[in-house]
Amino acid sequence: MSSAAGTDPAAEPGRTPAVTVLPTQRGGWLVAIVALAVAILFPFVEGGAGDEGTMSIAFFVVIYMAAVSAWNIFTGYSGYLALGHAVFFGTGAYTLALAVKDWNVPAGWTTMWLLPLCGVVAGALAIPLGLVALRTRRHVFVVVTIAFFFIFQTLATNLSFTGGTAGIQVVSPPWTYPVYNVNFYYVGLVVVVATLALSWSVRRSRFGLQLMAIRDDEDRARGMGVKTTRVKLAAFVISAVPVGIAGGLFANFQNGVYPQGAFDPLFDLALALMGFIGGIGTLSGPLLGALVLESLQQKFTQIFSNDGLYLIIYGALFLAVLLLLPRGIVPSVAEQIRSWRARRGGRTAEAAAGSGLPKVAR
Amino acid sequence: MSAPALIEVAGISKSYGGVQALSLCDLSVPKGSISGLIGPNGSGKTTLFNVITGYERAREGEVRFNGKAITNSTPDRVFDLGIGRTFQLTRIFGRLSVLENVLVATQRSESWARSLLRRAASTSERGRAMELLDFVGLARLASDLAGTLSFGQRKLLELASLLVADPAVLLLDEPAGGVNPTLINQLAERIRELNKAGKTFLVVEHNMEFVMALCDRVTVLNQGQTLASGTPEQIRADPAVLDAYLGGDIAGEAVAEQAKKKSRYKPTVTAASPIQPVASEPPPLLTIDGVIAGYGGGDILRDVTIDVAEGGITCIVGPNGAGKSTLLATICGLLRPRRGEIRFRGELISGLSPGQVLARGISIVPQAHSLFPQMTVVENVEMGAFTLRDKALVAERLASVMELFPIVSERAREKAGSLSGGQQRLVEFARCLMLDPALVILDEPSMGLDPTTRGIVFDTVAHMNTTGRTILLVEQNARAGLRLSSHGVVLENGMVRLTGSGREVLEHPEIEALYLGGSVSEVTI
Repeated sequence: MSSAAGTDPAAEPGRTPAVTVLPTQRGGWLVAIVALAVAILFPFVEGGAGDEGTMSIAFFVVIYMAAVSAWNIFTGYSGYLALGHAVFFGTGAYTLALAVKDWNVPAGWTTMWLLPLCGVVAGALAIPLGLVALRTRRHVFVVVTIAFFFIFQTLATNLSFTGGTAGIQVVSPPWTYPVYNVNFYYVGLVVVVATLALSWSVRRSRFGLQLMAIRDDEDRARGMGVKTTRVKLAAFVISAVPVGIAGGLFANFQNGVYPQGAFDPLFDLALALMGFIGGIGTLSGPLLGALVLESLQQKFTQIFSNDGLYLIIYGALFLAVLLLLPRGIVPSVAEQIRSWRARRGGRTAEAAAGSGLPKVAR
Repeated sequence: MSAPALIEVAGISKSYGGVQALSLCDLSVPKGSISGLIGPNGSGKTTLFNVITGYERAREGEVRFNGKAITNSTPDRVFDLGIGRTFQLTRIFGRLSVLENVLVATQRSESWARSLLRRAASTSERGRAMELLDFVGLARLASDLAGTLSFGQRKLLELASLLVADPAVLLLDEPAGGVNPTLINQLAERIRELNKAGKTFLVVEHNMEFVMALCDRVTVLNQGQTLASGTPEQIRADPAVLDAYLGGDIAGEAVAEQAKKKSRYKPTVTAASPIQPVASEPPPLLTIDGVIAGYGGGDILRDVTIDVAEGGITCIVGPNGAGKSTLLATICGLLRPRRGEIRFRGELISGLSPGQVLARGISIVPQAHSLFPQMTVVENVEMGAFTLRDKALVAERLASVMELFPIVSERAREKAGSLSGGQQRLVEFARCLMLDPALVILDEPSMGLDPTTRGIVFDTVAHMNTTGRTILLVEQNARAGLRLSSHGVVLENGMVRLTGSGREVLEHPEIEALYLGGSVSEVTI
């Protein structure tokens, strides 16, 4: 999926330039549709559905795609690094498990209808947390979000209704194994598409413009009438909802929740790593980052089992990307394309204009 | 004076730590006026702006807008009321496009829920934004990243991004600082046009000619207090103002008309650095040969060849966006030239890292304020020599730097951030001398300084030169810069247009058309 632009220049009358930070690519939609088609057909290619391991990896990839994409709506656009989104993931997971247990929801497709509730609960929780955390900026904000995470992990371990360290069981859907993974994969894919649509609409909206203005210079944005607290809080809440849904789906897939799995510190690190590797603040970057890192990690886990060797390879890959593409894959590649185009365009413009025009081609 | 006051400031006081920035300050901006706010560096002008616009809280006093108290409101509310402001060190949204920058302020009084559902801008809003960009002459760059604009272009963008919200009053903090004279004239024209259309202005500016010609009313601040207020003629005739504002013996532009002397610091400078004929020179210290360079997208420098003579002062002038700052960045190793080479004492230095260039004896004082504000003055100066291991040498250098810059010892234990702009400049000079560089590069040393301080800065530059340092200077104040210099270079559109001795360039008939825009030639100094 390429960096789909904020607006389509063809829609404007005359030659009003496109309002976008990334190079406008008409092909963006095409790439998105092709990528979606590939994702839909994936279980049928090369016996993918038959391979339990591959489909399990695919499921984890879509879960992370949705979560990173949602995290990016807040961190990528506002520039505030949030390292506590595992709170929302865990909240979603516990919401589903508790709802299934307390309301005796039948296993299978019916459980999936609880996913929106997981999102709503996570979003509602984000309001008080955001109100507190967003009083701070920069490093302090990061530390506060991490602190939230540990508070919630401790609560989940110690409160009675969460079942303590043992957690809560969720009855497994009555699906046989290849079908089981494929069904979960498709539900996850729907969440990814919905999150991406949300991210896209934020990006092209006034709200998104305000967020990005906050990212570049929060004080000046205030001086230009942007209600910064409100805008930041709204983005925080919006970004919590899909993460909660992903958590609910995860709990359902794993047939239960326990504190260490639902509130996992590595989850927060993974979101940040995937976001930075793909390129934060872009539409496609988080998806790309999740695809690359999560599939590699799962594959390594399968190959080397759990002895931790994969972590070394994982680290080496991360270093390589940081050194070669410090702003992430998508922005670096987009910059290259822009540079080529400008150089080509600049030369022709120069030749046409002669030396008369007092402007540098950029 | 019959027009009702749109903004009224009564008895405002504000202090930072021990420093009293404003004490019982009064100001009145009549509706429909262009009011000027002047005063020496550190007199509290920017602080007053910050208090009016809600960025800082006053300890006492009241700010009224349209008769209603708005004291200690928040910046967004103040903006919604119709007060827009620009910043002294221009602030734009660097990673948004130029057009997007203008669109940020189009969303007054709208709930976020609605703003989430709406596109960033409707076609009509975008059209209006493009009109405004056209108004300030940036329409061509609308889809560029704002971070790639030059300093002067950023100022214009900042203005356009406020106008889109149609504020009733605009507070401009040094709109002409660092902007070339042609553009200054355009800017004054734009301000007059907007004023005729009903907008009120409050302008902080050091360019006296600009203020006196533009404003109906001028208020003078000195040490946080209102010293005088009246028409430009009254202010000009007020001896107290001249005394406080212009200080000692250095003639600035404010007295240019009264004194009718071209410049009083010229003789001392000429004596300090005699203008040599271009022909009989030692080999150049720095040679820039056919350099082509730029950031990402395109080339900003397009074949630049300059020789910097050893022992002289070379001044580079040119319009905003000509590539002056890019050239300095290329010399310092921050930017690698795409083609061409730079040699220092015959040694190839293009392609070296900034640290390596510094080690060769080239120090730069950048355009933007670069002191560490939380560190003390003396710590900042010592930072200039942190690469030196020899403690005795550092102490020795510090002593000699303190001799040249008394402010370093006078304010040694104060935080650098508490100094005024001009004082910070001098400390920056001091810091850059700690490595005893052979070549000192100064990017717009006089920017944002009042005439007195500016005179001191220029004298200091001349003094550094007489103590054996070659100086390469980029200066927006072309006349003052060239008059000071033994060599002049005019850069335009990424290419060298003129070279010669400082005087030759200054008196070249083409320079007015090229750079000074003709009509302002008499008044810029």
